[in-house]
This record gives sequence, structure tokens and C-alpha cells, in this order.
Amino acid sequence: MKALIEYIARSLVDDPTQVDVQERQNGSRTDFSLQVAKEDMGRVIGRQGRVANAMRVLVQVAAARDDQRAFLNISEPE
Amino acid sequence: MDQRATLEMIAPSVDEAVQNGLEQLGLSRDRVHIEVLDEGGGGLFGFGGRQARVRLTVLGEGEAAEPAHEERKTPRREPRPEPTDAELEDVASIAKATVQELLQHMGIHADVETRVGVSEEGDRSAPVIVDIKGNDLSILIGRDAETLNALQLITRMIVGKEVGHSAHLIVDVESYRERREENLRELARRMANQAVRTGRRQSLEPMTPAERRIIHLELRENDEVSTESAGQDPKRKVVIIPQQS
Repeated sequence: MKALIEYIARSLVDDPTQVDVQERQNGSRTDFSLQVAKEDMGRVIGRQGRVANAMRVLVQVAAARDDQRAFLNISEPE
Repeated sequence: MDQRATLEMIAPSVDEAVQNGLEQLGLSRDRVHIEVLDEGGGGLFGFGGRQARVRLTVLGEGEAAEPAHEERKTPRREPRPEPTDAELEDVASIAKATVQELLQHMGIHADVETRVGVSEEGDRSAPVIVDIKGNDLSILIGRDAETLNALQLITRMIVGKEVGHSAHLIVDVESYRERREENLRELARRMANQAVRTGRRQSLEPMTPAERRIIHLELRENDEVSTESAGQDPKRKVVIIPQQS
């Protein structure tokens, strides 16, 4: 699932070197945290969050294949 | 940071929002900087559409106002010329590779085929259709096609980024969209009959813009009814209205 998030994010941003995905296991639930360059935030979030929501749907479907739950959070670098 | 006064206004149209804002500030148009945050619109005949949103920033002495139109965040796009066969082939092959890669990362085994479809309208560019084929792929459709639409949106964004313009393509699973379209046409005809028979407007269930379009097109030639869209996405629905004869 990490590879899925990385693939989508790197394909959408102008600066793929700044794409970073962290994952934290929490029982049967996995929390993913995606960071991209500040200038690329709009590309991975989209109008009214449509791109971010679509990514979440795909991540959840991929997780359900392994009887897992997954959550995706998107943030800009500190 | 500069702390100039700003004011955000919401109104049915951009012009009204700007006008209301200027009245509230008691300033003329050349004393403020106008940013259009949302052009609004979307509803047929302005009915049920989104409200326009603008932000006015009060300018200091000596600052010149820029023309408002250059500040639009969502510029009206020039219609693109008809794509050539080579361009469509290009979109098709990138789309195929993209969907294959997405499915592989999702742990789903399926065949991916592409073809260049012909839209019935004739005036729109023929879209590239990516059809995913395999066994037990209902997981890829999801409730109300949520998963399929997510897959289509991400594919469009990635392909669009690659080719440098928005990609007009459809992602389908086992011809689900084709079957759905046939069902929608049938529903449209049935509900139109009901509207005429009862003399009452018929509200359909909420649909995506593409689905609503199918209903509008199916009933366009029908003189006995007219159609409108009402409400806000994702609850926006088509209303079929019987015409008085």
C-alpha cells in the first residue's frame, strides 16, 4: 500500500524527490502519512479534496484485500 | 505580513458578490484588489448551482488595482482542437500502463485493454476507454461505483500530467459503465412517462455529473418533459418536469 501511495503521489507532483510516505501499524489498522513539497499540495489534494479522497478510496480497497484498515493523512513539510 | 483589510463575499454571481462587497466597504472598484475564489455556477438556468465567492482586499494609497479578470483562479479553458489519432494512441498507451501499475500496487490481477470509443454526440472528442477485465472484480467498482470513479480520477490526473493536458478517458470494469448507462436510459424513459401520466415532477436519485448527463441527453428529444438538475453535489439529482400541453 505504501508503494501505491508513493506511485500516485510521485506521478502527480512537480517535485517527486520531496514525496515521503511514512507508515505506522496500529493493530489491524495502518496509518499512512504522505508529505509532498508545499507547492505540490494542491496537486495531491485537488479541488474540494477530490484527488485526496480518491487516493483514500484506493488505499482502503487495497487494505481490505488483506483484511486491514488503512488511513491516509496528507501534510506539508514543517 | 501585511494586514490589509479583506472581505469575502458570497452571492449568486461574481458580479453581484463584487458589487455587494464594494457597497459594504463603501469603496469604488479601483480601490480594491478582487480575487475570484469560486466562479460558482454549474446549475442549469442558475437553478441549484454553486454560489460565487470573491475576496476583496483594500488597496493602500498609490496602489493600482489590477484587472479582476486576470485573477481568476479557474480560467475558462479554450476548447482544445480535436485530438489526432496519434495523440489518442498516446493517451491510450499511457493510460493502460498507469492502470496496470495502479492495479499491481493494489494487489489486483486483471487484464487491461484500451480502445478509442466514439461518443454519440459527435461534437466531443472521442474518449479513450480503458476496460479492466477479469474475475471477481466487483471490489473495483464499489458502492455507487465509488472505487471505479476514484480509479478513473487518479488515472486521468496521472495521464493528464504526463501528456500535459487534461485527458479525456473513461475507466470501466467488465463494461459496468455501459450496462449502467443502458439502465439509466431506461429509468429516464420510465420516469418521463410517469411524469406525463401523473402531471407531477419526478425527482431521481442523486447521480454523478456523467450520469445526470445521460438522463438529460436521453430526454432531450422528448417534447412532453423537460429536465433540470437540482441540489448540491454529491446529492445533486435530475428532476423531470412534465410540460403543460
